[in-house]
Amino acid sequence: MIATLIVSGLAAGSLYALIGIAIAIVLRVTDVPNFAQGEMAMVSTFVAYELLHSYDLPWWSAILLSMVFAVAQGLVVQAVIIRPLIGAPVLSAVIATLGINIVLHSVAGIIWGHETHIFDSPLGDAPPVFIGGVPIPLDSAANIAAAVLVIIAFTLFLNRTWAGMALRATSQNHTVAKLMGVSVSRSFAFAWGLGGLAGGLAGVLIAPAVFLDTNMMGALLIKGFAGGVLGGLSSLTGVFLGGLALGVAENLVGAYVSGSFSDALTFAVIIAVLVLRPEGVFGVVRARKV
Amino acid sequence: MSATLAAIPARGTDRPAWAMTLILLAAMLAAPFLVGSYIVYLLSLTLIFSIVALGLNVLTGLSGQISLGHAGFFAIGAYGTGLLTQKAGVPFPISLLAGAVIATAIGAIAALPALRLKNLYLAIATLGLGTVIQKTLFEWQGMTGGGAGLELAPATIGPLALREAAPLYYVILAVTCAGIWCARNIGRGRTGRAMQMLRESEVAAGTLAIPVARYKVIAFAVSAFYAAIAGGLYAYLVRYINPEGFNTGLSISFLSMIVIGGLGSVPGSIIGAAFYVALPELFRAIKDAPGLVFGLTLIIVMVFLPDGLWSLVSRIRERSWQR
Repeated sequence: MIATLIVSGLAAGSLYALIGIAIAIVLRVTDVPNFAQGEMAMVSTFVAYELLHSYDLPWWSAILLSMVFAVAQGLVVQAVIIRPLIGAPVLSAVIATLGINIVLHSVAGIIWGHETHIFDSPLGDAPPVFIGGVPIPLDSAANIAAAVLVIIAFTLFLNRTWAGMALRATSQNHTVAKLMGVSVSRSFAFAWGLGGLAGGLAGVLIAPAVFLDTNMMGALLIKGFAGGVLGGLSSLTGVFLGGLALGVAENLVGAYVSGSFSDALTFAVIIAVLVLRPEGVFGVVRARKV
Repeated sequence: MSATLAAIPARGTDRPAWAMTLILLAAMLAAPFLVGSYIVYLLSLTLIFSIVALGLNVLTGLSGQISLGHAGFFAIGAYGTGLLTQKAGVPFPISLLAGAVIATAIGAIAALPALRLKNLYLAIATLGLGTVIQKTLFEWQGMTGGGAGLELAPATIGPLALREAAPLYYVILAVTCAGIWCARNIGRGRTGRAMQMLRESEVAAGTLAIPVARYKVIAFAVSAFYAAIAGGLYAYLVRYINPEGFNTGLSISFLSMIVIGGLGSVPGSIIGAAFYVALPELFRAIKDAPGLVFGLTLIIVMVFLPDGLWSLVSRIRERSWQR
């Protein structure tokens, strides 16, 4: 019983982690917490749905194309709305992302309506695999695997490639990065593209589990933020573990304490942890010059 | 030092601003005689949200502390006032204050995480607090009625029953004016200047012997008080409250009001609230249009006026000044 709860908690937590990674990578480079991440993911999931049902594309190519769309969407939003706001108060950029959030929600409602759609997954009907006697549904395994793969890929990208290092340089200091020949605006674009990709993946992974509708990502976005903050937004591993911890805690509290109160209890735990570790559990406290 | 400060003319003493304020006030006083009850309801709603925005501006605009939990304080005001009046028979004005005092105490406690947290971490902690308050109201069914909501009889002040839209509107208008007066004085006085200092740099504030922790607690308490007063008035404006309505979305809306209007400015708070109420109302008839227009305007205003709508007015005023 408890093992099953933990497995489904890890599966949900992986999705929180994917959204959390999308938020963290944008936040670290551009200083903007992207409140539109959820609805951007929702729109790319609808694009995948459209490709599957109106154009009868095979599953994999539909997903691949929708991920291309997710990246492009991130790039466009960054170029049109975020770049003009460089240098403006951060809260203005935050409210602008909130505006994007509302616009995408309404646009999706106009195009696809607010009713629920069924988003198929090739893994949905497959029998679960047993590991140590614990049944693990294949879609849960896919969620966890996707999150782990994204973490590994992003970490390798950030540490081993020139573009990744440029991204990290930008996140530390714009001026110095520019002096080192890093194109800050290209780093901004990269960050939003990668954020769009991670968010879009979370979208197509969660859609088969909860049905596809315009409100699908609302709760997930908040959980992504919360998981990221819990683990510490300064490291991708922290975001990942924070998301997993949130997913598992939620499931256990929901099953053993109170179903309807699990949200509140989970947040109470997060507040308590943050009071003790203000930069998140795995966060690195950055020394700042005054 | 004090001599140089005295030489700087105090802001807001110029005559055109006073004239505008008086004209606006006269228009607001005359409104119930000129427009229908639905518009009066919308005006009341605008004033109520203005009160929240005024308080939130003390916290976010002046002190630089973000909150995504103010729907919680709004809810405490609404339920505190409603329950005390309905179930304990306390007169409406007293229960309104009592609800606000409870929220203020909780707001002061909410400041404790803020002593250590910043930015997004603080945003999530306050968001969590708002969620905890909302779910508590939901689960405490014996007292609050839970998800079924709470219906309220019209409020009475002495012999005066606030059944119609207009009398309640005047009460809300009076409270809003008091709120504006207090917010202006907080902003321009010692407290406000200390808060601005801690917004700019906590370290610098500390070295100037400004007790950072105390002013953070004051900022949270003041803004919680404002939100709860507004919540109490809101409960009797709509006369049916449900925990469902006091969600994170509402907290985010409060924040968007002050940023759209203008961070840290009193007129900005009111403009932001009016914007939030009026704009979707104009497109109410078309499905999905209010959201689309509101979202697009949020983006456009932020891209072209990152300091909010009120900055447009002060920009025009400065230009006419130079002529």
